[in-house]
Amino acid sequence: VRGRPELYTTYESDQAPLGTPAKRTWFGALLVGALVLPFGLTSELNALVATAFISAIGAIGLNIVTGYAGQVSLGHAFFLGLGAYTAAVLSGPTDRSVVGLGLDMWIWLPAAGLVPAIVGLIVAPVAARLKGLYLAIVTLGLVFLGEHLFREMRFLTGGPGTGRSAAKMEMFGTRIDERTEIFGYTVTREMKLYFVGLLVLLVLAVLAKNLTRSKVGRAFSAVRDRDIAAEVMGVSLTRYKVIAFAVSSFYAGICGALLSTLTGFIEPTGFNLLLSVNFLAMILIGGVATLSGSMLGAAFVVLLPRLVQEIPRLLPFVEGGSTGGVITTFQLETLLFGAGIVAFMILEPRGIFGMWVRTRTYWKAWPFSY
Amino acid sequence: MKSIGRWSRIGALVGILALFAAACGGDDAGPGGDVKTGIGITTAACPGSTHADRGCIYLGVLSDLTVGPFRALAVPLTEGQKAFWKRVNDGNGIGGKYDVDITKYTRDNKYNTQEHVAQLRQILPNILALAQSLGTPPTIAAKDIMEDENLVAAPASWWSGWAFDELVIESGHNYCVESMNGLDWASETFGKPDTLMAVHYPGDYGGDSAAGVARWAQANDVAFPTANDVQTAPNATAGNQDAPVAAILRVKPDVVMLATGPAEMAEIVGKAAAGGFKGRFVGSSPTYNPAVIAPTSPARTAILGLYNFVSPWATFGTNTPAHNAMKAAAGSTPPANDGYTSGWIWSYPMKAVLEKAFDLGDLTREGVRAAVKQTTVDYEGALPDKNLGGDANTNVVRQSLISKPDEKGLLGASTVKEFFVGPTAKDFSFTEPCQKV
Repeated sequence: VRGRPELYTTYESDQAPLGTPAKRTWFGALLVGALVLPFGLTSELNALVATAFISAIGAIGLNIVTGYAGQVSLGHAFFLGLGAYTAAVLSGPTDRSVVGLGLDMWIWLPAAGLVPAIVGLIVAPVAARLKGLYLAIVTLGLVFLGEHLFREMRFLTGGPGTGRSAAKMEMFGTRIDERTEIFGYTVTREMKLYFVGLLVLLVLAVLAKNLTRSKVGRAFSAVRDRDIAAEVMGVSLTRYKVIAFAVSSFYAGICGALLSTLTGFIEPTGFNLLLSVNFLAMILIGGVATLSGSMLGAAFVVLLPRLVQEIPRLLPFVEGGSTGGVITTFQLETLLFGAGIVAFMILEPRGIFGMWVRTRTYWKAWPFSY
Repeated sequence: MKSIGRWSRIGALVGILALFAAACGGDDAGPGGDVKTGIGITTAACPGSTHADRGCIYLGVLSDLTVGPFRALAVPLTEGQKAFWKRVNDGNGIGGKYDVDITKYTRDNKYNTQEHVAQLRQILPNILALAQSLGTPPTIAAKDIMEDENLVAAPASWWSGWAFDELVIESGHNYCVESMNGLDWASETFGKPDTLMAVHYPGDYGGDSAAGVARWAQANDVAFPTANDVQTAPNATAGNQDAPVAAILRVKPDVVMLATGPAEMAEIVGKAAAGGFKGRFVGSSPTYNPAVIAPTSPARTAILGLYNFVSPWATFGTNTPAHNAMKAAAGSTPPANDGYTSGWIWSYPMKAVLEKAFDLGDLTREGVRAAVKQTTVDYEGALPDKNLGGDANTNVVRQSLISKPDEKGLLGASTVKEFFVGPTAKDFSFTEPCQKV
């Protein structure tokens, strides 16, 4: 209704993604900011922000299965690895000791999502019979299984300590991530990675938003909040848990493939429990069952180590190197990370997104903010 | 009044522009005079330098300093490099106009490709080149960036693929040549083997080494069935080396070529000897560490009796101008192991390239890259002079030495056979890396 943006008269308008003028304006401003930002950052920071974008894709994936559908998954790292290797195998050169098919990005990128999604589909029926702690243990098993396979399948992964080159961003014979000169202005590899990350994130975030506000999304919430009640209402538990796992794995696979191209190399030992925990931390810190929370959480987890590296300049007792001092940056980072999770769980279980909502509500009601 | 105000404003503007011009021009008119400089070079002296009249060239170091598998070698290696560049700075520096600093941008890559690339991106805006890029996989991961940035690097790795890469200025033989020379020496000393075995890690190191064994076998008409190509993994992954030991005891080869870590080598040699194996072991240079012949080592006798290793250059205690200089630099306490020697020797090409670029009047990254092809490296006797121009087949270093474990030798080793080129390596034609990664 004109002039009363928050009076919703239909379900559609209530669920619309950018329902109010304020939301539209801010989203537009944010998007413009994101498009301009890489021109003001160093290559290193561009690469870092690109990592945050791509990690956000994985975090959204985990949020779909764990946040929206309520199925705790510790197996995210396995699907990330699967995506990374699918991409690397499809894209890799054909004359190496590891298998490669030399295909283009428009093939390997969707495939990097589809292969994990199919594996997710196969695993999901087992997982669908379980919930809570039992499910966590089963998905944990998946990580260990995956780690073992990645180590041992040397013809695909190169094996531990050796690894293989990651997928190349090549389309129709040209590398799209190479440095180029456009009208005398140098566009670096990192800027291009930034834009690729941003683009894929935008597309997948919009798809996720639509999924969560559809019938499927409502079924997810029903399953999460009371599975028995959901079943009584006619929501098929198996069906929706399977969908949640498959979609989540798709996102994880895309994330894994793009993350590996940032580094250019894949080590089979990297897809371990710690990586899964990192993604869980992203959604817990960012905000469970929110998309913007997934992105905020990913940004927090990816950028925190880099921020901590700046601390030795401010606090002399923190040692910048790897040894000596009262505490090293690496130790401090681990401590802050752990403390952050505990603090969020106790003080703001809704994560950074919850803090944002509270701030927003405060200012909306201002000055009557009691 | 109005016009005066305008003129003073214009005057101020001109003044500001002049200041900007002066500030921008500062970099060009460095201490090199007409030498072109760019990223990674300052007109200010290096931190802690006593040469106030010299500028500073910053080189990065990406090494395995804390938690990775090669830290025992990498820490003395980095020390060796620091000592090398200190000697350069104490002397003439680069062209008498620049000192070289490798300390400020030394970073720990943890032998992890992701960490390596992230750290490289961080130091990239401040360095001219890399004085050390440790490990084949990390260096390969960073190749795209190095290519974009014209970043020349001295590797700490002996992969055969570097001969085909103009940005990576390697020293010494590669693992592939190493195996050929090791087997040539073994067959000359103990008689031509009828059966061969390779026990190795996968990848750039072990894979390259095993590829050398296969090429030697082919060139010398010795059978090398795939069953004799035994892959193993570090104990951290594999737990123990029982599988390769069982293979050795089953096949009973005349010579086993090893490309593992020192602890794994000791376990294999010790257990095989205890199982009655009488053949010879030839190890790649990273298989040796003086700790394996310590009095407490259970494999000590077996190693002293059955094992030799091939090296790309002579051990720390040797008498060449290069070795004497590093001994002088190390002072009264010898380094922990020959990582120090390697760090020192691996630095010669970078020094030669920087000097060449200086002589050509272009110390920008592009200039340094262009200088590589025109450089000849003088190793002060540690290695034969090396021309960095020309194709891979001409460039590849084919010399090796054979050493033995020796508790009386400095750093637990002594040379058995001085630099030689075995007949197999001599005739081998390098058209591609032995092991592609």
